[in-house]
Amino acid sequence: MRDPNAIDFWRGFALVTIFINHVPGNTFERYTFSQYGISDAAELFVFLAGWSIGIATRGRDGVPEPPGKSVLRLLNRTVEVYRAQLTVMLLALAIIAGAALLLDNPLILEWHNAGGFFADPIQSVCGMALLTYQLGYFNILPLYVLLIGIAPIFVIVGRFSLVAALLLSGGIYLASLVFAWNVPSWPGEGDWYFDPLCWQVLLVLGFVLQRWNARSGVLRRWARRLFPAGIVIVLVGIVLAVTEIRPDPMLVPEPRLLFTFEKTYLTPARLVHFLGVLLAFAPVYALLAPRIGPIVGYLTQLGRNSLAVFSMGSILSLIGQLVRFQTGGGLPIDMLVAGTGLIGLGLTAWFVEWRTRSKSPRPRT
Amino acid sequence: MVRRVAHPQQVSEAADVSAARPMSPLRTAILAALVLAASASHPLAEQAADPGAGETSLSLECRVPGAQLYTAAKLSAVQAALAEKRPIKLLAIGGSTAPGASASYPAKLEAALERALPKVDVVIDHRGLPGEIASGAAEHMRTMVVEAEPDLVVWQVGTHDAIARVEAEAFELALSEAVAWIRSHGIDVVLVDPIYTASMAADADYNRIVDAVRTVAMQQQVPLVRRYEALHYLSSRIDRGEGHFLGRQFRLNDLGLRCMAEHVALTIVTSLAKTETPADPKAAPAAPPLTGTQRAPG
Repeated sequence: MRDPNAIDFWRGFALVTIFINHVPGNTFERYTFSQYGISDAAELFVFLAGWSIGIATRGRDGVPEPPGKSVLRLLNRTVEVYRAQLTVMLLALAIIAGAALLLDNPLILEWHNAGGFFADPIQSVCGMALLTYQLGYFNILPLYVLLIGIAPIFVIVGRFSLVAALLLSGGIYLASLVFAWNVPSWPGEGDWYFDPLCWQVLLVLGFVLQRWNARSGVLRRWARRLFPAGIVIVLVGIVLAVTEIRPDPMLVPEPRLLFTFEKTYLTPARLVHFLGVLLAFAPVYALLAPRIGPIVGYLTQLGRNSLAVFSMGSILSLIGQLVRFQTGGGLPIDMLVAGTGLIGLGLTAWFVEWRTRSKSPRPRT
Repeated sequence: MVRRVAHPQQVSEAADVSAARPMSPLRTAILAALVLAASASHPLAEQAADPGAGETSLSLECRVPGAQLYTAAKLSAVQAALAEKRPIKLLAIGGSTAPGASASYPAKLEAALERALPKVDVVIDHRGLPGEIASGAAEHMRTMVVEAEPDLVVWQVGTHDAIARVEAEAFELALSEAVAWIRSHGIDVVLVDPIYTASMAADADYNRIVDAVRTVAMQQQVPLVRRYEALHYLSSRIDRGEGHFLGRQFRLNDLGLRCMAEHVALTIVTSLAKTETPADPKAAPAAPPLTGTQRAPG
């Protein structure tokens, strides 16, 4: 088991934030950082996934493992995430359908666009297997499957040149923005909520920055120098979020995706804001870690088991929404939902580690 | 602002309040018939014969009295498109996006509109809109509108906010801004309020959301399909008759999905009947959102 570290800590932090934000309307939503900026926890989650790929495809000594092994490792991870997505989707649909039956309330069937599934199961079940049918709030994992699936390309290119990997990724990103490329949804019209062609840039950025960070101190020096810029960006983000000032997508010049704040396309404003958040908050872990030991322990345990915790978080947040809906919400209910949810996430992480421990005969260091 | 819980008994009196002067069903019918003079297949004028029995242009199982089905308002952008004899681009937002057996709503809506407006081509783009209007989904809606560049947005709205227990005031404000934004770009809007189902009938929060949709429709002077009222009316009629293997509420829900297209089409056609043809089609659209405070009656 890994010792607590900044990556797992921030990933755990992102997981908790995503869980709270996926119970819309709850009291604690307004205390998450997502409400005070242009970008949110989804960016952090994808960036850290890329950073982790950088760590995972090297040995402890920093020597890269054979490329074939990296490809297999990422393929294995893709299968794991795909399996998690199918399981989570099935459970979510069952929870929605079960709640509608138990409460004799067909309104619930429309939840998160699940109505499409129940109206047309024949096409939808194909779309579910193809990842092109997604439920609202359940669209990060399909993105993740695709991103990890294409990650080997960037890892292999990165072996020769990290700059080339970044240029390739940035080129796809810019072209997707200019031509509004996205992966279509099916059945039904429209596109993916998270455009993989745009969001891949964050994964590759995480991967490349991890490599640069491991190689030399240049990146860290620049991060320190740019710290004030990060603070300014964060402050501007807060002002824009609180005042709800944003460009009118109908009035911005073409290509409009370069100027709007759309989450679907991870538009440049969101990317710049996220980098600002990164610069401003990167030093925070070192300051906090010695002071908030138990919280660091809890969050890093979540971060170490992010796939299981994320999957369980999706299910728990859906149940939390149903509980809020049926009871009418209110602070006590919100405390109950958030409290049991956070305990549930912790238990999930603990259970996964317990299972791993009990499977392997020799103790791990 | 006076807030009113949407009890069905009160609401039927409030029909047509969005129009500057209330119209009798007869007048509406005559106007509709004038606009649709070419529409031999759709004898709208007959509806005046017995308004209590529901709009006769609707199929038998979907028949609801007009007063309980819609409030009409002007649709200038659609009228302009008609005057220019170009296809009407319609963006349908919300609800099930999958074209299933019971929910082929976009196809049915297109057919119903093309039946009622002969020689007019209607192009429909249907998108699901997950999330709450009060937090983020309104932004997503803007993207859809920019991408689709429609003449008319038909928006089923309120269900997700109701389920998330969003405060009705926050929802109303966000919806009002969103509708004003669409209209400020010369695009017409028709709102469709959430469904009626027995277990929600006594839920005060839910009724406040339904009410908020109506308030926004009145303030912004956009047509409203009163799905809640229509389904409530229909629910009293399906007491008799065959059941549904999942229970009566599910049968009503199926019926509601089947009837949606007809109800929306009738609302659009009736609203068009109230919209004068622009003298100069080019100058007509982009009626700025009206700011006058129109209050809910009652």
